[in-house]
Amino acid sequence: MDENMLCTKTHEYVLEKDGNYEVGITDYAIQQLGDIVFVELPEVDSEFSKGEVFATIESVKAASEIYMPISGKVIEVNEEIVNSPELLNDESYDNKWFIKIESEGNQIEFADLLEYSDYKEEVE
Amino acid sequence: MTKQTFLHDRHVELGARMVDFAGWEMPVQYTSIIEEHKTVRENVGIFDVSHMGELIVSGEDSLAFLNKLVPQNISKLVDKKAVYCQLTNKQGGLIDDLIIYKLEDKKYLIIVNASRADEDLNWMTRNQAGFNVDIDNISHKYSLIAVQGPKACDLIMSIGENYLPPFFSIKRSELFNINLWMSRTGYTGEDGVELMVKNEYAEYLWDKLLEAGKQYGIKPIGLGARDTLRLEAGLHLYGNDLDENTTPVEAGLTWSVPKDKEDNYNGKDVIMSQIQHGGRKKLFGFKMLDKSVARHEYEVYINGEKAGVVTSGGVSPTRAENIGLAYISLPYVDKIHVGSTIQIMIREKLHDAEIVKLPFVTKRNKV
Repeated sequence: MDENMLCTKTHEYVLEKDGNYEVGITDYAIQQLGDIVFVELPEVDSEFSKGEVFATIESVKAASEIYMPISGKVIEVNEEIVNSPELLNDESYDNKWFIKIESEGNQIEFADLLEYSDYKEEVE
Repeated sequence: MTKQTFLHDRHVELGARMVDFAGWEMPVQYTSIIEEHKTVRENVGIFDVSHMGELIVSGEDSLAFLNKLVPQNISKLVDKKAVYCQLTNKQGGLIDDLIIYKLEDKKYLIIVNASRADEDLNWMTRNQAGFNVDIDNISHKYSLIAVQGPKACDLIMSIGENYLPPFFSIKRSELFNINLWMSRTGYTGEDGVELMVKNEYAEYLWDKLLEAGKQYGIKPIGLGARDTLRLEAGLHLYGNDLDENTTPVEAGLTWSVPKDKEDNYNGKDVIMSQIQHGGRKKLFGFKMLDKSVARHEYEVYINGEKAGVVTSGGVSPTRAENIGLAYISLPYVDKIHVGSTIQIMIREKLHDAEIVKLPFVTKRNKV
């Protein structure tokens, strides 16, 4: 995991990259979910507010909704994990982001996000 | 206050994730549900199922008493044989599904679901008047360990068992110098045994089985894989697929109900009438036609109309597709058959599924 990522208490992360943002779920969340068998991602150009559900994933046990850590517009989705959800459980696979978004990066929206190290402490 | 089995510490040591199940703290998975599932289909797995209830019904009238409680003909049960039964209410609805073993004349062992043990005892007590029987709940004295998979019997034979009980039979046996009851039953669709042992020997037996099972690729299996295994085998889960408003006929259990039983039992009139004319709903198996997963309580649609409900749904690791069981209500029952397309409402979108025959995976336990 990239140490610069910011995490929600509901286990999503956001990471700034080249002026845009990458959004996904934390390694801890993946480990807790177990075998992931289904990933549903939004369409490119759809817009979401912070806290809105933008994706759903299914593990063998249950479905989980994934929330936007900050507001933004989807510019790219990770089709690889849609086609092969089991890649999320593969420790040798690094490309685990869900979507890339364009965001105004409103600082108020970052206020309740945790630095990765603090997040780790919180969940462990 | 959740209860713990006598193997609780072992599960924690083995790294299991523990969850609450029917008031018991149980391992849901040790490593990965899919991996554990495959272990049982390909090699052998060991399960702690000590949360299940064990009752002994004995006494002069025990046979007549049991014949009043279940549609099955207990009179035909010979010593050491078992029969899959349902505990029915006066409307033919299912209070529980259970296995009755005849240990000897006038003495029966009944294995019941953890979630229903109290209800079962309550119902049996209410039906007890006029019968000279003792109902002894021995659940707190015994642990139950299931050993399941194509190599389960090889493992049991390798540790000194010379004569495995035949399918759906039980015998008194001894493994590692521990006295136990060994039955050729399970909830996975695979061959294997279930071992009922006094609590104080449970850890020792568990450790010994894991050690002896190494050469067969044994792994501990949690409730997560137990659920995917039973679903593939088309076996019902009480609370999902069976409840007090569902009869054995509606649940697709007519095969287990004798048509010629003379004794009157609770719900007999309803069940016999439904065998003739059909029930109010019928259970079907389906597979999803896309990657989505159907879950318990999702709605089923046929031609845009709500036609039923999913009672169990999930992943089939063996078939590498997503499967489920659904009740289709009466007006639609005759319109669907194997190959029909139905739709499942998943997060406000309809997804196509196809009716398939049950079980989803061929059982390999009939020997």
